[in-house]
Amino acid sequence: MDTELILMQLFSGVALGAILVITALGLSIIFGMMGVVNFAHGALFMVGAYAGLWVASLTGSFWWGLLVAPIMIGVFGMLIEFVLIRRLYGRSIDDPLLLTFGLSYVLVEGVRIVFGSDGIPFPTPSLLTGVVDLGVGFFPIYRIFVVALVFAIVVLLWLGLEKTKFGLIVRAGSRDPMMMRVLGVDISKVWLAVFGLGVGLAALGGVLAGPMRSVNPEMGALVLAEAFVVTVIGGLGSLVGAIIAGLLVGVVISMTALFAPEMATIVMFALMAIVLLIRPQGLFGKLA
Amino acid sequence: MSAPLLAVENVGMKFGGFIALQGVTTEFRPGRVTSIIGPNGAGKSTFFNVLSGVLSPSTGTVRFKGDDLKGTRQHEFVHRGIARSYQITNIFPDLSVHENVRVAAQAGRSRYNIWTNRKKFDELDARADKALESVGLIAKRNETAKFLAHGQQRALEIAIALISDPELLLLDEPTAGMGPEETKEMVALLEKLAAERTILLVEHKMKMILGLSDRILVLHHGQLIADGTPHEIQTDPEVRRVYLGQNHGYA
Amino acid sequence: MNVPSVAAPLAADARKPARLKAMMTTYRVPLSILALCILPWLLPSKALAVNVLIYGVVCVGYNLLFGYTGLLSFGHAAFFGAGAYITGIAIGQFGVSWYLAVLMGVTGGAVLAFIIGGMSTRTRGIYFSMVTLALAQLVYYVALQASTWTGGENGLRGFTVNRINLFGFDINFLDPVNKYYVLMVFAAAALWLVSRILNSPFGAAIEAIRENERRARTCGYDVERTKLLAFTLSGTICALGGTMSALHLAFVPLESLHYLTSGMIVMMTLLGGASSFFGPFIGALVFLLMEDVFSLWTSHWQIIVGSIFVLFVLFLPKGIWGTFLSRVVR
Repeated sequence: MDTELILMQLFSGVALGAILVITALGLSIIFGMMGVVNFAHGALFMVGAYAGLWVASLTGSFWWGLLVAPIMIGVFGMLIEFVLIRRLYGRSIDDPLLLTFGLSYVLVEGVRIVFGSDGIPFPTPSLLTGVVDLGVGFFPIYRIFVVALVFAIVVLLWLGLEKTKFGLIVRAGSRDPMMMRVLGVDISKVWLAVFGLGVGLAALGGVLAGPMRSVNPEMGALVLAEAFVVTVIGGLGSLVGAIIAGLLVGVVISMTALFAPEMATIVMFALMAIVLLIRPQGLFGKLA
Repeated sequence: MSAPLLAVENVGMKFGGFIALQGVTTEFRPGRVTSIIGPNGAGKSTFFNVLSGVLSPSTGTVRFKGDDLKGTRQHEFVHRGIARSYQITNIFPDLSVHENVRVAAQAGRSRYNIWTNRKKFDELDARADKALESVGLIAKRNETAKFLAHGQQRALEIAIALISDPELLLLDEPTAGMGPEETKEMVALLEKLAAERTILLVEHKMKMILGLSDRILVLHHGQLIADGTPHEIQTDPEVRRVYLGQNHGYA
Repeated sequence: MNVPSVAAPLAADARKPARLKAMMTTYRVPLSILALCILPWLLPSKALAVNVLIYGVVCVGYNLLFGYTGLLSFGHAAFFGAGAYITGIAIGQFGVSWYLAVLMGVTGGAVLAFIIGGMSTRTRGIYFSMVTLALAQLVYYVALQASTWTGGENGLRGFTVNRINLFGFDINFLDPVNKYYVLMVFAAAALWLVSRILNSPFGAAIEAIRENERRARTCGYDVERTKLLAFTLSGTICALGGTMSALHLAFVPLESLHYLTSGMIVMMTLLGGASSFFGPFIGALVFLLMEDVFSLWTSHWQIIVGSIFVLFVLFLPKGIWGTFLSRVVR
């Protein structure tokens, strides 16, 4: 087997993994802080991709899309939290999942109404097209960019979580609003911010994924399943787990595609099944 | 002298770096009421959790009627004859009072029976009603459990533990959240139960404990610091030192 | 013989609806069958009525796990699809008679439910939902890949059942009315089975687990094993729904296995009312009726149904029947 081919596929897996990481991180942050599994996460990923495309076509620049879309969708996420999810506080833990599931239906169909059901190609920005010769092979510049950007964001997130007061609150993962108010924290603002952040990350993933896959209303469904797999493997609520599992899954999918392309998705789920059998709480999760 | 019902040998419990229990060794003989007291954080709940199978001790052994309980799964404890009630009321909120106790009664056998109409199991109904009578809840039989008054819910707690006809009854703060009147009723109930079973009690209300117990164990920082009759405990200098200055509600 | 009631006397006006409800519970199976008998004559089309039968059965099976045991599975499409595919393959590829094919479909669904249940009941809470979704998606992708058996993306065809020999009667299955009443026999059997399960000691056990899992455990219930049994029974009935669907359409679409189908089952069940006996069927009826009616106005009916579901989760979590019951009784 050609070393260059293997390395390229490995790298492709890391790029794919990067998208998974950023999406799964958003899911994990929301769950860790609010105990909510955001079933609309995949749909919001997809909406992010469309938003990025739309802004890019308005302004003529991919970079505006990349910057504005996640913020736009993040704010939209805050609206969702404020209007809908907040009402479910104190009810069964299943209710937010049910609500966000219904929401994903609405979002997907909404996108179909506005943009149509066909896929739309997302052009790679001119600055990032082409490949670069790194000695061991030719690597697509865009994917290098994706990996680098995700890496930078993960570092920023880590810094934010470790060094800021807001980060401390998120890390504490406490869902007890009384406790938090006693400590002088307005939990409702924290929830708003956390949900917005998580959704914004999903939207960012969507924009980044755009040039790598075409944009269509169904792209969120697969991403949701993938994000769930990553979360189960990494451990629910664990940010480190989301990162490691995301990269692992991306690489596994990519390498399997090299030998048996049709088995790639199946292998991903099979990997999750194996982890479930051996260690049900995931690699970095805690036993309930 | 009767053989020990429950033998605790050198039991320790560690949570990461925190030592909750250390070197606890004692025996419980049948037919007595033993109370376990100690300041908050002394390890009483942990000790209870070890005895009822919620936790597996990090060190040491617990033997029930001579058998090592190690490896016994939590749901099997009640089948062996150890039942417990909880400090924070832990009932089935949307079921009726009768159903609460009946479902507990049913756990013995027929729990995988998917075919027979459960109304046919008269014997279980009768047992459930009998348990409700003994805790004084028979009049509330058909009420939904979540609508009961707090004291009645605590009584239901005990009925659920009683229904399996346990030899050893572990009661975690049965009078939690109760005022003086309700506490008196609970004490009367416990005295009645003590005639038939071995009872282990965790409580904070000193007057109640002193009147009710045959024997008192005192835990402090996870260690057993005193063990004796109420009178012995009251005059034990170590116990006085630990409790000095703390008002534990000599109600 | 029942222990005589020592209930505190209820207020006179509260007694009547409570007694009515008790009667409805005792006679729930005959009442359901009666309703199902007249259903096709009340609906705009026989095909819609058959769909209500099929998805009603699926939801009743699902509700055993969701409403009564309290476990939100998002992967029950796997059992529905498995039942359908196995039946279709048995008839189409192996020429098996229809009733054997149904038996195989139901058994296959039961085995799959046991396996997936075994893996997912090791997890708790919201994790459980994610795991069931992911495991069911695994089944979806396997079916997609095994296209020589399943027809892949295009679904499974080529196994039409024209005539059915039921209890000695030779019936033309292609006639819509005949088809409905034959499938109604299946539905009646499923309803009767579920009712029996709910009335049994096991039925009390799963409700105890739903109410307070920890307490159920200390009462002596092996919670994991009980959940697994509930999961398996639930999946088996969903598989029966799948076999009904296969017989009806003579076609199995790949989407039968997708989590969107699982989600649809959840929506129907919640809409009608989880943890009630009639709720799931009512939910299936309402959902399918809405789809029928709204799709006349717009091809984007899903946005309406999705919004209605969101409103239900927010304001009417007990569903149509559940809310009705709680308002009228007590």
